[in-house]
Amino acid sequence: MSIIEATGIYKTYQETKVPVNALNGVDLKIEEGEFTAIVGPSGSGKTTLLNILGGLDLPTKGDILIENTNLKTLGSRQLIDFRLHNIGFVFQAYNLIPVLTAKENTEFIMELQKIPKKERSKKAMELLEAVGIADKADHKPGQLSGGQQQRVAVARALASKPRFIIADEPTANLDSRSTNELLEIMAEMNRKYHSTFIFATHDQRVMDKAHRIVTIDDGKIIGDETFEGR
Amino acid sequence: MKTLIKIAWRNLWRNRRRTILTASAVVLALFLALIMRSMQFGSYEQMIRAGVNQTGDLQVHDTGYWANQSIDRAFFYRKKLGETLHGIKEIKSILPGLQTFSLASYKKQTKGVLISGIDAAVYNKQNHLSNKIIRGKYLNPNKNEVLLGDKLAEFLKMHVGDTLVLLGQGYRGITAYGIYRVAGIFHLPSIEMNSEIVYMNLKTAQNFVYPYQPGLLTSLSVFIKDPGQLQTVKTETEHRIGPNYEVITWKTMLSDILQTIKADNVSGQIMLLILYIIAAFGIFSTVLMMTMEKRRQYAIMVSIGMEREKLVWVSIFETFIISVIGIVIGLILASPIIYYLHFHPIPITGEMAKMYLQFNIAPVLPFSIKAHIFLSQTIIILVLSLLSALYPIIYLSKFNVLKAFRH
Repeated sequence: MSIIEATGIYKTYQETKVPVNALNGVDLKIEEGEFTAIVGPSGSGKTTLLNILGGLDLPTKGDILIENTNLKTLGSRQLIDFRLHNIGFVFQAYNLIPVLTAKENTEFIMELQKIPKKERSKKAMELLEAVGIADKADHKPGQLSGGQQQRVAVARALASKPRFIIADEPTANLDSRSTNELLEIMAEMNRKYHSTFIFATHDQRVMDKAHRIVTIDDGKIIGDETFEGR
Repeated sequence: MKTLIKIAWRNLWRNRRRTILTASAVVLALFLALIMRSMQFGSYEQMIRAGVNQTGDLQVHDTGYWANQSIDRAFFYRKKLGETLHGIKEIKSILPGLQTFSLASYKKQTKGVLISGIDAAVYNKQNHLSNKIIRGKYLNPNKNEVLLGDKLAEFLKMHVGDTLVLLGQGYRGITAYGIYRVAGIFHLPSIEMNSEIVYMNLKTAQNFVYPYQPGLLTSLSVFIKDPGQLQTVKTETEHRIGPNYEVITWKTMLSDILQTIKADNVSGQIMLLILYIIAAFGIFSTVLMMTMEKRRQYAIMVSIGMEREKLVWVSIFETFIISVIGIVIGLILASPIIYYLHFHPIPITGEMAKMYLQFNIAPVLPFSIKAHIFLSQTIIILVLSLLSALYPIIYLSKFNVLKAFRH
């Protein structure tokens, strides 16, 4: 069953006198439980596509259906609420809230979902345990390495029980060891919780783990391969 | 909400030095504003007190006297009236007075004067008139004598011991006349008073104006225990003494002093405005920097599902916390100083001191400890701070998440 169905997506930026066509008619379906990498050269439109799939941006043209909800029909407040309950984010630069500890960062999204304190505290510790960083629960992002911060970001993304997780170049700032560990964690989450992951990446190691690789160039999908058995 | 406050609090202490500097701007502004206003209001209170010592907090007249100050609007003191006034527990003391206009002559000189009949002992207790005598002696309550201002004595070419002739209109159309020995010559700060007033004992004045019935008065000056209760006491007095009498407060009688205070207050307010602007810019620049610095943090929060309104609250809490820290420290620093200077006013010396004394004002700079000074300054600083939060409120309500991510 498709949880994301993007049809005829165009995105044009008009920030300068010359309009920039970032996406030129993208059609994409993502099934539940997929571990998909969107790859392509810089400026190919990966991040734009991810932003649109994640409801952070809206297409100039085309429809984006997430489990039958057309994101274009949602107001800005509804969109924020939609993201809160349906989409998890892992960013390239970790983007944790710097003044909150690892546990508080993980709990924060559950607090926004109005989950009772006891329950969210327990869940946050479980998730930090799952990503192997429970011992650093009381550390703030500034006291954690890049790899550790990204693990917290994964825990935070999973905390809201999203329909899918969007990860934009999640390994770009990590060393090999941290990258492998993070990928292993995400793959484990995918297997264990059947979480749907969509990555934008240049990283071959991520591509090697992906079940499906969608290649994009000049704002168009030019390749879509599925790898059974990964 | 607890988490939002926690985020705001921690955000502030991420840049400890900046927060301390901003709070210091609030402390300084509030401290200076409190000291300035307290000193200013202290002086005003002192001026008003000096004026009220002359007039009383309230005056009771025959109805219509204040608008038309004629001797024909005088009234006879009745025991019942006195008992009624003394029956009001907020009233401390009552000072009867009789004022009328007359011609004063000595040899070939004649001048229009204001006759003021006073209870010499009580009046002196209240106004220290005996200290203003520059020649001769203060009034003897048992003698038909007068005190002249130095300017009037100079005009009439009179000296202590000379006899003054008074001729004027008495009560109910009679002619008032009399001759009185000059007991002393006084000097008051007001040229007008020095050249116009003739003081005499109340009984002497009553005999001068209407010798056929004792007890004629134009006013009863009423002194109250708590000046803050002025309006209440006025209303109660009016209610009790009935419509045959009018009750006037010092605010009407000393309207010229109030005008002076009002004008002076404007200059104080301009100084305060400058202080407020400095403080507001201090807070605003911090709020601006914090907003710009945290654009990425805001973008993260909105992207993961935090409503913009909650971010606005974080920003308001940040500004509020800085302001409250500044206000609390400002109050802690300023209050003991103001309290000390209220009970131990700064003494004024030299020519300035002489001038104060001439106006019957103690030569000190008193500080007011009225709660409204502390309250108003605190509220103004708080409101200014919260106004500074308008910028992040506007920014947060419309910032572009993706653009903010790029910063």
